[in-house]
Amino acid sequence: MESKESYQVRLEVFQGPLDLLLFLIRKQKIDIQDIPIAIITKEYLEYLNQKKRININREAEFLYIAALLIYIKSQMLLPREKALEEDDDPRQTLVNRLLDYQKVKMASILLRKKEEKEHLKWKRTFTPPFLKKEDLDLEEVSLFDLAEVFFSIMKRKKIQDIKILKTKEFSIEDKMKEILEALRENSFIDFLEYFTQQESFEEALISFFGLLELIKIKTVIAIQEKLFHSIKVWLAKDHYLRQN
Amino acid sequence: MDNSLRNVIEALIFISLDPLSIEKMKNVLEEFPPQKVEEAIEKLIKNYNSNDRGIQIIKSGGGYLFSTKPEYDTWIKRLLRIERKNKLSSAALETLSTIAYHQPITLAEISALRGVDSSHTLKTLLQKKLIKIVGRKKCPGKPLIYRTSEKFLTYFGINSLKELPTQEEISKILEEEKDF
Repeated sequence: MESKESYQVRLEVFQGPLDLLLFLIRKQKIDIQDIPIAIITKEYLEYLNQKKRININREAEFLYIAALLIYIKSQMLLPREKALEEDDDPRQTLVNRLLDYQKVKMASILLRKKEEKEHLKWKRTFTPPFLKKEDLDLEEVSLFDLAEVFFSIMKRKKIQDIKILKTKEFSIEDKMKEILEALRENSFIDFLEYFTQQESFEEALISFFGLLELIKIKTVIAIQEKLFHSIKVWLAKDHYLRQN
Repeated sequence: MDNSLRNVIEALIFISLDPLSIEKMKNVLEEFPPQKVEEAIEKLIKNYNSNDRGIQIIKSGGGYLFSTKPEYDTWIKRLLRIERKNKLSSAALETLSTIAYHQPITLAEISALRGVDSSHTLKTLLQKKLIKIVGRKKCPGKPLIYRTSEKFLTYFGINSLKELPTQEEISKILEEEKDF
């Protein structure tokens, strides 16, 4: 539980070890080109120490940078006969990486501003399909139709990939959220397309349960416009809006 | 005559699902001189932007499209019963800008630039159709290559990749931050 929480914090506050490093450098108001390694390393380690337990898999990247900082400091302390060539300076590699990363970071701030501005302008992201006579009796698909299509997709998929190494864990709740989000973005989901995209059978199965749950609580609605056409999933309220 | 060309263009933009490019428009409007078409579009845009309208024509994603004016956001949300639009997470946004500025790019390259594993965010972006797979790199492992999609442009209201914030704009922000 503990480690899960620290992971959350990390997601919100620091996107990765470079992010943390950049933050520390900014906090000290230092020029990136001229990092006082000892000070930064100290703060970096302090940050890592704040976590009571370190999940090696997740924090390995952070530890790697901490180790790198210490390595650089130790290199600088060693007396040398000849001064280091510019290229050999381990600091330079780190500085270059940081500068590249900083650019990305700044670009994403600019993109965020654009996103906010664009969100206020609404576009007709889809035109409601024009109702033709024969389309008037759109039929809500039964559970069995859905299950049939689902298992036929999975059968096809199984033949394609048998090389699943490790599966992540998914929960039905997560998948329900994912489906709802996809619906908000794209107004409808093509049933066939959606499940073909799933990576493993387990993932697809859990998504499928999630979808069934959403249909049960009447948040979404599955519709086949014509016989042999693909099944589309809509948010229920969008669907009724479209019909009226 | 001039007036009617403007109306035709208005109708064409209205009915298009994706941003309508000027080339497509010129193809359709073959009986009009291209110069006139361009002029008419400009006038049309001005006309919409002036006043008295809830909608406007904007240039975005390589073409022209209708959008509502920002000031009517509140009422549209009420109609569609949407409380707020989902923003991209900062991880997704960072990954996206890495791709935008370094494309074509592979997952390993993205993760290296960000210093953090980006496979999950990449999947989300693919699902949102903001990026696309354009092939495989000819190197060991043949990793997939990613690029931003057309939807990426419209999402941020950019007309082409050339309109992405430039190096100068980025450095300007950096300067401002320093002062701060």
